[in-house]
Amino acid sequence: MVISILPPIVHPPTALISQSLSSCLPNLLTPRSKSTPRTSKARVFTQSQTLAILSDPHVLQLAETLEDSLQPSSSPPLPPLQKLRDISSQSLLSTSWPSRKDEPFRFTDTSFIKNSHIEPISPSESQSLASLPVSSDTLLPLHVTILDGYVVDSLSQLSELPDGVFVGGLSSLNSEVTMKRVSEYAPNFQGDLFWLLNGVGAPDIIVVYVPEGCRVESPLHLKYFSLKGSEKDSKILPISNPRVLVLVEKGGEIGIVEEHTGVDETDKCYWANSVMEIVIGNGAKVSHSYIQTQSLDAAHVKWTSVRQESTSIYELTEVSTGGKLSRHNLHVQQLGPDTVTELSTFHLSIGDQIQDLHSKLVMDHPRGVSRQLHKCIVAHSLGQAVFDGNVQVNRDAQQTDAGQLTRSLLLEPRATVNIKPNLQIIADDVKCSHGAAISDLEDDQLFYFQARGIDIETARKALIISFASEVIERFPNTCVQNKVEGLVRKLLDPTPSSR
Amino acid sequence: MALFTPNLSFKTATFNSSLFILPATRHQRLRLNRCSRSLKLRASVAVESPSTSATEHVGSPELLLEVKDLSAVISESKQPILKGVNLTVREGEVHAVMGKNGSGKSTFVKVLVGHPDYEITGGSVTYKGQDLLEMEPEERAVAGLFMSFQSPVEIPGVSNIDFLNMAYNSRRRKLGQPELGPIEFYGYIAPKLELVNMKVDLLNRNVNEGFSGGEKKRNEILQLAVLGADLAMLDEIDSGLDVDALCDVAKAVNGLRTSKNSVLMITHYLRLLEFITPTYIHIMENGRIVKTGDISIAKVLEKEGYKAISDA
Ligand SMILES: Nc1ncnc2c1ncn2[C@@H]1O[C@H](COP(=O)(O)OP(=O)(O)OP(=O)(O)O)[C@@H](O)[C@H]1O
Ligand SMILES: [Mg+2]
Repeated sequence: MVISILPPIVHPPTALISQSLSSCLPNLLTPRSKSTPRTSKARVFTQSQTLAILSDPHVLQLAETLEDSLQPSSSPPLPPLQKLRDISSQSLLSTSWPSRKDEPFRFTDTSFIKNSHIEPISPSESQSLASLPVSSDTLLPLHVTILDGYVVDSLSQLSELPDGVFVGGLSSLNSEVTMKRVSEYAPNFQGDLFWLLNGVGAPDIIVVYVPEGCRVESPLHLKYFSLKGSEKDSKILPISNPRVLVLVEKGGEIGIVEEHTGVDETDKCYWANSVMEIVIGNGAKVSHSYIQTQSLDAAHVKWTSVRQESTSIYELTEVSTGGKLSRHNLHVQQLGPDTVTELSTFHLSIGDQIQDLHSKLVMDHPRGVSRQLHKCIVAHSLGQAVFDGNVQVNRDAQQTDAGQLTRSLLLEPRATVNIKPNLQIIADDVKCSHGAAISDLEDDQLFYFQARGIDIETARKALIISFASEVIERFPNTCVQNKVEGLVRKLLDPTPSSR
Repeated sequence: MALFTPNLSFKTATFNSSLFILPATRHQRLRLNRCSRSLKLRASVAVESPSTSATEHVGSPELLLEVKDLSAVISESKQPILKGVNLTVREGEVHAVMGKNGSGKSTFVKVLVGHPDYEITGGSVTYKGQDLLEMEPEERAVAGLFMSFQSPVEIPGVSNIDFLNMAYNSRRRKLGQPELGPIEFYGYIAPKLELVNMKVDLLNRNVNEGFSGGEKKRNEILQLAVLGADLAMLDEIDSGLDVDALCDVAKAVNGLRTSKNSVLMITHYLRLLEFITPTYIHIMENGRIVKTGDISIAKVLEKEGYKAISDA
């Protein structure tokens, strides 16, 4: 069992942040200015003028491949998409492939992607496969199917959307007013290499727009399927770059269920490089369910970037079980007072795989509330879990109430978990709590089952499931809850013989 | 012969418990007093003495549990806790174990159900003619040995009804009976809830999580009612209960008794013993049973404390 918990960093209001941070958190110290060039050999903090010199040829080549793959259509891309592409390719010039020496990738080895031959997937390939019965399962009435990053209208059901709500590709957005709003917001640069590659490679921006005061009753299911995959050991990774912008105006409300999955049982190799940006207006609410069950040979890199205006509510519930390499970058920024953020995530590593959550929550305004619960189970001796949970409570964020709790369960001898909870508190009138625990199952609990006649294997399974349930129970939709629970049960106990 | 009427009315028992002590019991008790004076401090002496033979009364209750010179240490520290415990329980009997805090009462029953915190270092335990110490904890449970925990553990994420259903089905499976699905199972336990006077919503909560002290105790008795037991060992089932709850719990325990099954209860108070009449009371001290007698011991204890017992 390999465990590393880095000491949580809690700064009193007047702490000498630069000094204490620089020793252990070099990269989190400086605001993430991505214009800072780096080489993979050494971190060189130089001025942005020298950018071009430090370009990473590998990255440039990949960016070029992605650009070339985009269909030259008759009309030029719409302004928001063009803007996104411009900003992204510009920044890519100065971005190198992350190495283990870069703090955000210290425990997450991305060389598996780097060493593969990346092949963009063209829309025709996907559309021809659209006849596959990938959409027979209609968990929720409102749904959009996204195959390898492309919306498939024939497999989507949106007829019950309230007036003024738009869901679909930017290219099919007809309302000028909505287009204007979308242009104002997208894109908001703050990501890393993967964010930028998505910006260059995304064929379209899929927009979810909820107008002022509108409550969308039924949750919207975004079904992302990765159809195209290569054989294991082929060293070829077909890449998809789905990009979604969720824009909920003042007082609006919507539930989003994001589900990322492969299509068949056999484990295909592919790279899903997905980005979702969410903008939540004053007093608006987004309840976000995120389920990731990709192939165990796939790479899944995901950005979720959320901007919350005052008195808004954002609730995320995540369960990730798939991918050989799965990385979720979750950034939430509270942009006004009295804002509520709740993050509940569960990661499961049942094979030779890595599950990584890098979350960052920035609280800049008074009376913000945040609750974060991260749990993970590593059930394989080659399995790994990584959690870096940063919470910043800045100077003006007085009377903030921030809580972070992480628990990990290691079920095999060499299972690995790397945990770095870190609270950075600069305001002085705040209530913050955090906790990190790594454990095996509780003996007393196991014995309680046995004392009632339940054999130890059944008891173990029940306790492991119960560990995950704490997060699964938070999915607001019961259909989603049941589906995910069934799935997690199956993964943890592939042979449900004895019960 | 039945020592106890199966569905002994609780109220009557409260007011005049001696009324229900049948001659056979009284007989045994007399011998027991004599023996205990001679310092052969074993509950089993009564039945082992020559005056008691299987032929003395037809259908003499069968041996259920026989503990001989049992000693045990804490697995981790090897610190001795039980230092030669002897106890014999026959079918239909009610035994009470009393003793100062830390004397080893809970350890004794936990050892009997196979708790991994303890290691047996000597002696033997026979249950229904089998070597109990050879059995896995869950086998002991399925064989009808039940212990209610002094402090039941909380199990977040596992609902109380699922837990009960799982336990019930384990037993059914061992008995070769079909398992019950959640709906059938609910039908089965609904009346048991009434028996222990427990709120239905506690079924959907997680096992013991956030339960009040009294709710936890009731939940233990609910498990006993649902699973049944040939030997129910109740560790301080009366601690932390209000008067009404104590009545409910005692009533439920009495309601579950038959001429065949037995009860061993650990308590600090006479009050419970007035509700559930014991055949024998044992006093444990420093890992041994040092005295065995009838309810009068508990009365002396209540008045004068353990000093009076040790001096006797
Ligand atoms: N797992 C354990 N680890 C350490 N010490 C233990 C353990 N179990 C029992 N002991 C010790 O053994 C002694 C007997 O404990 P036990 O719980 O059996 O007492 P008891 O008679 O039930 O007391 P009480 O009336 O307070 O419930 C105590 O000193 C206790 O601290
Ligand atoms: Mg005790």
